Amino acid sequence: MNNTLSHTDTTLIICTLAAVAFPLFAALVNFCLPVKSKVAGWVSALAILLACILSAKVFAGVWNAPQLHVQQVWFTIGNTKVYAGILLNNLSVLMLLLVSLIALPVHVYSTAYMKYDERYSRYFTYLSFFCFSMLALVVVDNLVLFYGFWELVGFSSYLLIGFWFTRDKAVQANKKAFIMNRIGDIGLLSAILILFLVFHTFDIDRLFGRNSIVAQSVLLTGHWTSANENNWMVDGISYQLPAVWQYVAFAGILLAVAAKSAQFPLHTWLPDAMEGPTSVSSLIHAATMVAAGVFLLGRVYPMFTPTELTILAVMGCFTAFMAATIALTQNDLKRVLAYSTISQLGFMVLGMGVGAYSSSLFHLATHAFFKCLLFLVAGIVIHEMQHVKKDNHLDFDPQDILLMGGLRKKLPLTFIVAIVAGLALIGLPLTSGYLSKDGILIQAFEWSDGKNTWFKIIPVTALITSWLTAFYVARLIFKVFFGDFRLQNIYPNLKLHMRDGGWQYKVPVVLLAICCLFPLFSFNPFSYETSWLFKGMDIARIAKFESTYHLIIPVLVNLVSLVVLYLAYAIYVKQNSSAFSQTGFFYRLSYNQWYIDKIYKKVFVKPVLGLGKTLFWFDKNIIDGFVHLLANMAGCVARFSAWTDKYIVDGFLHLLAAMVQSIGNFARKFQGGKVQYYLFSMLVIVLALFLFKILI
Amino acid sequence: MNILTLLIFIPVLFGIIIMVLPSNMRNSFKYITLAATLIQLGISIWMYLNFKTGANFGGINHEEQFQFVQKIPWISLNLGGMGKMQIDYFVGIDGISITLLVMTSFVMVIATLASWEIKSNLKGFFLLFLLLDMAVIGVFCALDFFLFYLFYELMLLPLYFLIGMWGGVRREYAAIKFFLYTLFGSVFMLLVMVGLYLSVTDPATGAHTFNMVQMMNPANYDQGSVFSLAAHRHILGMSARTVGFVVLFIAFAIKVPIVPLHTWLPDAHVEAPTPVSIILAGILLKIGGYGIIRICLGIFPEVATTYAFWLGLIGVISILYGAFNALAQRDLKRMIAYSSVSHMGFVLLGIASQTAEGISGAVMQMVSHGFLSTMLFFLVGVIYNRVHDRDIYHFRGLGTLMPKYTAFVMIAFFASLGLPGFSAFVAEAFTLAGTFKSHSVNGLLPYWMAVCGTVGILLGAAYFLWTLQRMFFGKESLKGGSIWKIALTDLNLREKLTLAPLAIIALALGVMPSLVFDKVNDSVLALIQFLQTK
Repeated sequence: MNNTLSHTDTTLIICTLAAVAFPLFAALVNFCLPVKSKVAGWVSALAILLACILSAKVFAGVWNAPQLHVQQVWFTIGNTKVYAGILLNNLSVLMLLLVSLIALPVHVYSTAYMKYDERYSRYFTYLSFFCFSMLALVVVDNLVLFYGFWELVGFSSYLLIGFWFTRDKAVQANKKAFIMNRIGDIGLLSAILILFLVFHTFDIDRLFGRNSIVAQSVLLTGHWTSANENNWMVDGISYQLPAVWQYVAFAGILLAVAAKSAQFPLHTWLPDAMEGPTSVSSLIHAATMVAAGVFLLGRVYPMFTPTELTILAVMGCFTAFMAATIALTQNDLKRVLAYSTISQLGFMVLGMGVGAYSSSLFHLATHAFFKCLLFLVAGIVIHEMQHVKKDNHLDFDPQDILLMGGLRKKLPLTFIVAIVAGLALIGLPLTSGYLSKDGILIQAFEWSDGKNTWFKIIPVTALITSWLTAFYVARLIFKVFFGDFRLQNIYPNLKLHMRDGGWQYKVPVVLLAICCLFPLFSFNPFSYETSWLFKGMDIARIAKFESTYHLIIPVLVNLVSLVVLYLAYAIYVKQNSSAFSQTGFFYRLSYNQWYIDKIYKKVFVKPVLGLGKTLFWFDKNIIDGFVHLLANMAGCVARFSAWTDKYIVDGFLHLLAAMVQSIGNFARKFQGGKVQYYLFSMLVIVLALFLFKILI
Repeated sequence: MNILTLLIFIPVLFGIIIMVLPSNMRNSFKYITLAATLIQLGISIWMYLNFKTGANFGGINHEEQFQFVQKIPWISLNLGGMGKMQIDYFVGIDGISITLLVMTSFVMVIATLASWEIKSNLKGFFLLFLLLDMAVIGVFCALDFFLFYLFYELMLLPLYFLIGMWGGVRREYAAIKFFLYTLFGSVFMLLVMVGLYLSVTDPATGAHTFNMVQMMNPANYDQGSVFSLAAHRHILGMSARTVGFVVLFIAFAIKVPIVPLHTWLPDAHVEAPTPVSIILAGILLKIGGYGIIRICLGIFPEVATTYAFWLGLIGVISILYGAFNALAQRDLKRMIAYSSVSHMGFVLLGIASQTAEGISGAVMQMVSHGFLSTMLFFLVGVIYNRVHDRDIYHFRGLGTLMPKYTAFVMIAFFASLGLPGFSAFVAEAFTLAGTFKSHSVNGLLPYWMAVCGTVGILLGAAYFLWTLQRMFFGKESLKGGSIWKIALTDLNLREKLTLAPLAIIALALGVMPSLVFDKVNDSVLALIQFLQTK
């Protein structure tokens, strides 16, 4: 395949490789630097800048052009050749650009945010390593490598969540994140193995690309069989599995997506992951890594059957709804945003499920910008609150929104960009969020049209969720930026020096805020279908038709959203309407995050640990007990034989010896040396013989 | 001089030097041992580089395809009416042995470096150490069953003393347990070996022979002999060949170890001094896996196929059982010992699958586990040497106190739990791929075994990360207070020099698995071919 490449293609491939390699190189350099070295930040930022430029070049070259695919043998195992290569198509170059584009402002922001950290260069080592894994993940061409980088992404996230490893909460969170992701990983691994067994290749292009052999495979008569187009199959090798394994493979993918993209039931790690530095949450746990699950769905899309797509839709919809209800009542600034991320990822999965493939990826891209921005804003706010805490020697939680308020005057720029990002998250017109989210909603309704009435539940729930989104975003913004500074009400003598921060803060947030508006994605602010991104992703799976939904849904969503916004304004700013009851069942359900963590602890964690203990007891007392029993039995037998030896065998010998001795002693008496005795005994013997003779 | 013979007996030469040197030069002993192991490593690397690959160098059941062969008659007795007794000094290697050989000589160097901690009776220690070195290398090279058995039994003696004399508090218990467990397996192996000897004749000389490669050819069995394939002889109501297989399997399975024959391992590991733990985990366990591949599969292929399901089942049970037990441990070394049980379960599972992926994965897992368990036990040794404690709950926040040490621990833990980029990932992934493939290729293992195997990977993450969290992260808090704090210094140069190559190798094998697979592949394919035709 290599030799057919033209010169430009070769350049593009080299650019891609370099874009992936620069962050790795930066990570290696930073690893060698002293822990506190301030150079590290700029090494990483420079690397990501270069990666960004190269990605843009690659993007320009590949977008809407024929895909590029190069590979070479990585290793051979048995008769199977495992390849390593790069696959550049619209999806991968979009992700490549998106990741590097989001990572760049976060890097710049981090140089200021982590300035006083003890392990400054380590932070950038991890961050660069994350970028490397993520960039590599989106361009690799086969499932083995995909799995590898998939897990490395999780690993770098582990390192960064637990970056402040002296905090107990942080290290518990990163352990939880890694283990929950591992559940997804084994799902993915199983799915890969199943695919390998049916199709005998790991090549993503071959499996899911233009002539996808997965899409051509058939599920018939209880078997999942690969189609033999062009007679590519080799005789004597089995290309089928019982049909159930198709569903197992789907379940594996589902688990993987649920773990990485924080979907129910594996979502609980993401809110806890907020223990990491906020800049990390911004890049990894909001914008890029968590999107990897959706990206995976995009990659393996041809393998899903209609039923499986429905399951995806249900999972996404439920997650979106559940997370949104939880976000309503959380008081931790980052936790609200984390649940909002889960909810939005739910929208993307829902989009995939209802066939809104391109809208889903579109939402992935727009969400990356505004959620990243919201976290950076949160970072600035938390940073300033920490300063207040430190300057005044107080003890309070700097992330608690109940203590904030009125910050719009103190952090004006932060306030403005927060508003932009918030509106994009709600999905109001003129923002990028409007374009992408409405697309998903409209297509969800269209999808449910031809189906049973029950299917309507899904788009309706999604609709309600988007209103809930409006409410929690409004609550967050009003609580943080409007009203009085509640901390000052508690401590009236507070010294305050709050400000937006240096250029490393300002430039990234402003840039990201601009990206949250519509022009970047579409020149028509009201039609998602005119967006270049939507068009580029369109795989034309479903026939397009103009339905009334295109008009009704946006109007409905936005009008009600505005009402909700006003309601929130009335509750939280004017306070002329009483707040909700804080004792009701629904409030507690939401506040306790649906009790899912507690249930998991009881149902999974404790039994597993208990099983471990039980098996160890078994090991010690039963297996080893048996060994000891054998040893003791051997000991008993040994003692018995020793006893036998001493008392029976030796006893017999001693008896013999004693008998001989006593007989000897007895006989010796006859040899006393006195003649009269001899005569006497002779007489006795003769007498005895005589008597003997007479008697017989 | 044959290079393989040189490799085997170099430790003995150096051992003799140590033996004749007076005791007041005891400080030089460790350097002499180090020199011996380094030379050994050099030779094995040279052999690795000069190892020829290709379909004509598969080895397994083709005597002429082995490399670096030396074969000289050793014991030749005319037994009159019973024919001639033929025992050869016959050594040679194929793809499966070469990688294990390089791994072994490397681990030996590391074990020597770990021996710096030994303070008493140095002469005895290093003599036994070198004797052990010779024996393990010999096991991997021997192609004559008698010679193999000799080396195999020869390992026991030094190990018994090494654990029993330089070990921890319960060393005598552990040493005896280890010795009896292993001996239990090998005495019965002796019987099978004699049975095989009486059954097989060398077609070249017409005499009975211990030649393992000849034992793999059914045509070499005398008609009506006990292990003859055609004769269908029975022992105790069971097919004689089944009995032979089971006996050999148990002997090697004890070494692997499998559940439930594993309980010697935690005790032996915990009581043994660090270098011996390293050899035990790094090399000894591999002899079990190697023996199963070379001897159980090689000599009784049809029985191995019949009982593949049970082999696989034992493998899966070992994976899960070991992992759950590791989760319950509070002694760091014991935790790692149980993790070994879990990881070696993958080896058995891969072998049982009888697919190219599975067996290559199993060999890779052996090589990988050799390096990684060495690293893990060395790391435990570091902390134990400093404070003579290794209870997980007695340490907290070591990350702040010993950052470099923690970095290496993290590398070792993550590599062991199968993080991609490290060797264990490739090994486990392909073992599972082979297991999964088995059903549709040869119908030996059901699909669910692969799925259960993946659960082992999940549990692996759980116990390693939990340990990291408990011991290394969080606020610093030590049971021994400030005394421990002073004692717990970060890694010194020797320790860093020991650990760094191990980490690099684990990484290199993960990124370039072809380092192992290229050498192994031909032999694995030959073995698969052999198993299919039988």
